[in-house]
Amino acid sequence: MKRRTFLQLGTMTAAASWLSGCRSANEKLIPYLTPPDEGVTPGMAVYYASSCRFCPAGCGILVRVSEGRAKKIEGNPAHPLNRGKLCARGQAVVQELYHPDRVTQPLKRSGPRGSGQFTRISWEEGLALLTEQLGKLQRERATDRLALVTPPLRGTLAELAAGFMRSFGSPRHLSYELLGPDWLRTAARRSFGQPSLPYYDIAETRYLLSFGADFVEYHLSPVQYGFAFGRMRQGRDTVRGHFTYVGGRMSLTAASADRWMAARPGSEGMLALGIARLILAESLFDAGSLTANGLRADDLLRRLEAYDLDRVAHLSGLRQDVIAEVAREFATTRPALAMAGEPVAFQTNGPDAVRAVQLLNVLVGNLNRPGGIYPDAGETTGPEDSFAELLSLVDRMLGDRISVVMVHGDPVHAVPPATGFQEALARVPFIASFSSLLDDTALQADLVLPDHAALESWGDVIPLAGTREPVIGLMQPVVTPLYDTRQFPEVLMATARGLGGTMAAAFPYQSYLEMLKSSIKKRVGPAGGGDFEVVWVDLLRQGGLFKANNGQGKSLRWAAGATLPDPGEPRFAGDEKQFPLHLQVYPSTAFLDGRGAPLPWLQQLPDPMTTVVWDSWVELNPETAVWLGISFGDLVEVTSPQGSLRLPAVIYPGIRPDTVAIPLGQGHHGGGRYAKGRGANPLALVALMGINREPQPAWNATMVRVTRISEKGELVTAGNPQGSYRSELIEI
Amino acid sequence: MKLSWLIGALAVVAVALFVVLAWMYILPMDLRDRSPVQPIAFSHKVHAGTNGIQCLFCHSSASKSPVASIPAVAECRACHLFIAPDAPEIKKLMGYWDRKEPIPWVRVYSLPDFVYFPHMMHVRAGLGCARCHGVVATMDRITRSVKLKMGWCLDCHRKHKASIDCWTCHI
Repeated sequence: MKRRTFLQLGTMTAAASWLSGCRSANEKLIPYLTPPDEGVTPGMAVYYASSCRFCPAGCGILVRVSEGRAKKIEGNPAHPLNRGKLCARGQAVVQELYHPDRVTQPLKRSGPRGSGQFTRISWEEGLALLTEQLGKLQRERATDRLALVTPPLRGTLAELAAGFMRSFGSPRHLSYELLGPDWLRTAARRSFGQPSLPYYDIAETRYLLSFGADFVEYHLSPVQYGFAFGRMRQGRDTVRGHFTYVGGRMSLTAASADRWMAARPGSEGMLALGIARLILAESLFDAGSLTANGLRADDLLRRLEAYDLDRVAHLSGLRQDVIAEVAREFATTRPALAMAGEPVAFQTNGPDAVRAVQLLNVLVGNLNRPGGIYPDAGETTGPEDSFAELLSLVDRMLGDRISVVMVHGDPVHAVPPATGFQEALARVPFIASFSSLLDDTALQADLVLPDHAALESWGDVIPLAGTREPVIGLMQPVVTPLYDTRQFPEVLMATARGLGGTMAAAFPYQSYLEMLKSSIKKRVGPAGGGDFEVVWVDLLRQGGLFKANNGQGKSLRWAAGATLPDPGEPRFAGDEKQFPLHLQVYPSTAFLDGRGAPLPWLQQLPDPMTTVVWDSWVELNPETAVWLGISFGDLVEVTSPQGSLRLPAVIYPGIRPDTVAIPLGQGHHGGGRYAKGRGANPLALVALMGINREPQPAWNATMVRVTRISEKGELVTAGNPQGSYRSELIEI
Repeated sequence: MKLSWLIGALAVVAVALFVVLAWMYILPMDLRDRSPVQPIAFSHKVHAGTNGIQCLFCHSSASKSPVASIPAVAECRACHLFIAPDAPEIKKLMGYWDRKEPIPWVRVYSLPDFVYFPHMMHVRAGLGCARCHGVVATMDRITRSVKLKMGWCLDCHRKHKASIDCWTCHI
């Protein structure tokens, strides 16, 4: 550059920067083009009561809406479940509405599956495509070649989906969710003769013994139980409830406990029976309760003889005196309560281990008592063995006996590949997805018919296992739909109408709202009286139908003829020499099973135990790390008999030396810009385990080995905020 | 001779420079901020002065919301379909409407985000709009007539025995 040019350029830059300082700093005032509807006052917020459907807990929410835009979500104080509290996941739901990568109109696949190439089509075209596929099945009299895959549905939507499949003539409706409480229902059926979910009265208990039930993070109804836990600790003047946690990994729940017992994975059920045996041997049990439940102490003691303290201590890797102390504390403090959680249930001996924990409750006599367990007042029915249904659907898909699959949710990400689901789904000729983001499942779909965001939807939400009184939360749209999307049930009804005949006759409603209203009307019954429209508006304003506890006769009792639980020793996938470490996969506090990963607030939410953001990690005990030569933030490879993953290591003292843990939720191929390609999905490591050749959801029964790859784990934590090339994202 | 001329000229230049700088320092030179040129030469003098339209007729939220609000383009148009439809500025207004574009008015009064100022409380307390906004009815183009500083708020709050707690405005 010439000197003259340089000076010219320099002068021009200086002049430009000086001139820009002269620009008026005033903001603009942008008026409406046409005045807004009645009821909108600029600057004044309106609050709508609705319900959260992010997880099955179904809390009540209040949404602040300003100038027709949803701004903030908080808990609904009138809702008996969460009483004005709300978790981080519920708060983040507003980002689902405004997600920049939402599917704004129906899409038809134009490239190969998984490529993400779609063409935009109209709703008429989209519905015609689906109707044509279904009509073809009807004409060929092969209606059972249609499968519907959804998470477990409840309330009116469940009714509608069941009605759709019934009138179409296909029994293949799979209601599967990785974390679904099927195992609790099965255990309750085998122990108590009814498949009801438990309602734990944590608030009133004095001694809480949790076998892996992480009720602060995700177990059943976390907001409700978190609130109850606070009351158990501080809500009574003279009592501070004691809390002992049993489990190989220190979760947030375990960190809130007075005592952490790091039992060997898979040994929890045997430990529970060991405690039971000790209580029986020392006659600390509640005799009245045993009689009422038709059990005899001497008989029980004889049959639990195998679980003596010495053996149980050996199996669980815990000290004998500690086990004995906990057993005595548990038996002598009334009321005392024992809970079983997912880490226990998802072992090969899980079903019996859960029942072993339930037996403890019978021994100390806390069934149907304050501070004990009641049957939950929600829906009594629900899937009990959806995992078997999943496997049978996989079989059918592999055998080319399924031609059309309609999917709501993201099973491609949230079902372990060891089940063969992904592979089988790829063989299905036509896949329709209802996702509102191009998630892993929608990327495989031939047709995407985008659902409304939760804040644009109507619905009823029946909370899962969180109340003793019957509760139906209502969802109402708080904003006008942002895009050209339609609610999933509306699409089902439109498809039924398009197919005509008996299908159309099965849905005599103009809209889903009408169906919802008629179903709520039935629930309210004549008690509502008078004009239902008035009652309806009242219910919407309140947030749902909350009935006072009517103390109905449902109660728990040990079923006559129920066998004694016999967990037996757990089995693990993977040779002990080759794969020396237990793998525990646990739902992330922010993402649950992965549904929260598309929301940047949740990505930015530091994990409460490790403070990691925007990533996956594997937790290693310091001892193990030293033995393997791994330090904090190293990139490691975790290998199981099923597969291998690379992810950064977190050295975490709160885990057994023989166990490593990876949170669920990351590792999406799609799901929008915030989730895509971030972290790793540990389900890829999980092997399928079975008893008697019958596979079961033993997600924590996989063994792994860990090897160090390099020092570049790119881990971002509170202590290491600059540790990443992704730092520009951290500002969000 | 020549040197004295040069010295004299330099002195004059120096004095002139000093005067100009002093003038710039003393006078509020943010004329464009205080009285910005608006996209349409809307005259408050004509509307509020000559025609005596009440403030709340157009700024209808002032009595019920923290923000006073400005009328929607459709509301301007509703009157001007019949009133002076041929005036050049009204043609500009109709142009915005035809293009379905909101008019990018330039804001004259603004407070930082950490101040909560509710219009409705002040209107309901019987404070005239002119107390803060000046006699708008005499202005063709709106000019900010007060410095929006905290001391000025507090003076008035003290005089009227309104709360001067920090949390009243900084919530």
